[in-house]
Amino acid sequence: MSLDYVKFAPGFEKFMPKEYRDMVEHGPFGKKTTVSQMGSFKEILEEHPMCAGCAMTLFIRLAMISFPNPEDTITVGTAGCGRLAISQAAIPFVYGNYGDQNGVASGLSRGLRLRFGDKPKDVVVMAGDGGTADIGFAQTLHSWIRKEKFTTIMLDNEVYGNTGGQESGMTSQGAVLKMAPLGKKFEKMDMVGMAKVAGCVYVATVVPNNPRRVEAVIKKAVLIAREVGPTYIQAYTSCNIEYAIPTDKVMEDAKNVEDNRYKFSEYISEEAKQYLAERYGYKEFLPKPAAAVTQA
Amino acid sequence: MYLVADIDVDICAQTSCKLCTQFCPEANTILYNNEIGKDKGYKYGAAYVAVDRCKGCAQCVWVCDNMAKHHAIKMIMIDQLPKAAITDNVTYGEKTTTAVLASPMVG
Repeated sequence: MSLDYVKFAPGFEKFMPKEYRDMVEHGPFGKKTTVSQMGSFKEILEEHPMCAGCAMTLFIRLAMISFPNPEDTITVGTAGCGRLAISQAAIPFVYGNYGDQNGVASGLSRGLRLRFGDKPKDVVVMAGDGGTADIGFAQTLHSWIRKEKFTTIMLDNEVYGNTGGQESGMTSQGAVLKMAPLGKKFEKMDMVGMAKVAGCVYVATVVPNNPRRVEAVIKKAVLIAREVGPTYIQAYTSCNIEYAIPTDKVMEDAKNVEDNRYKFSEYISEEAKQYLAERYGYKEFLPKPAAAVTQA
Repeated sequence: MYLVADIDVDICAQTSCKLCTQFCPEANTILYNNEIGKDKGYKYGAAYVAVDRCKGCAQCVWVCDNMAKHHAIKMIMIDQLPKAAITDNVTYGEKTTTAVLASPMVG
């Protein structure tokens, strides 16, 4: 859990694969990398077995680039498509049994705080809609109610894509899927509302058709989770296989869905705003000058 | 045979929007070279595709055609590309990458 773990063991440099050497010499560790620099440095994420054109992969790729301190970050995941890519990255990945990723992350986060004290070590949970809202619902909600300080990211593809297309709690009402041929009868779960009620201090919904926005949202969520409280990001990451979206139309679908039912939303508690402004210099959350307040 | 993305340097180097790189679901597949375009007299560098990592989804084509409106990317059968970048021949530098082009059908 430091820059040392991404260095070569003495004498082994020439035996390492090219990808590993590129990662050590030109990776994002110890530097500030941004979405606008993509394509000019070696990314944390490597080749992975996810489907061509998968929007979830795009989101994971953007998320990996957006972590404020990748060398001090641990990702936690569970069964589902996402873990196929998240595990192919040069940062530690912990695989929880199905649904217990937020429980695992709770222990991990507390343990890291005990071991490293004030030095921030970020724990980021990335799990699908099934892992977060269906099978892992109890553990997710309880970790929020306990105010565990880590980030939960839901990769919401609105279906069980790995197992043939069953409906999940996050599937939209009326959606017809291979294993839900009559259409889903119930409404999509309001996880954003539940996150707010359960005490998350930062809640955002985002669609990966705006990379800079994804970057901003992830940075804020991870930074706030260091000291203020639990944070939650819900990302629409369509399943182009189960929803039969042609791969070259995935971003068109993302745009339509964002316009119609997945609008960008962001909730930040006052305490979190103050923390971002004072600790990390976020100008938009700085208190307004007295003159501006009077004029308003 | 299968399709891979191919970027027209002459179009790309005029604008350098980098949107294709930001929207590609595969990591380190569409890379950026600050010098390719400048060598040809254009103002900017250009993006290129490491074809061994490209899964042929054509998302970059949609982004280039509809978001950037540059129409610089086409899908091409891999055996129709005489020379292309492959990961083994890519060198990372300071805020740029360079690739020695080679036949994608060999090795």
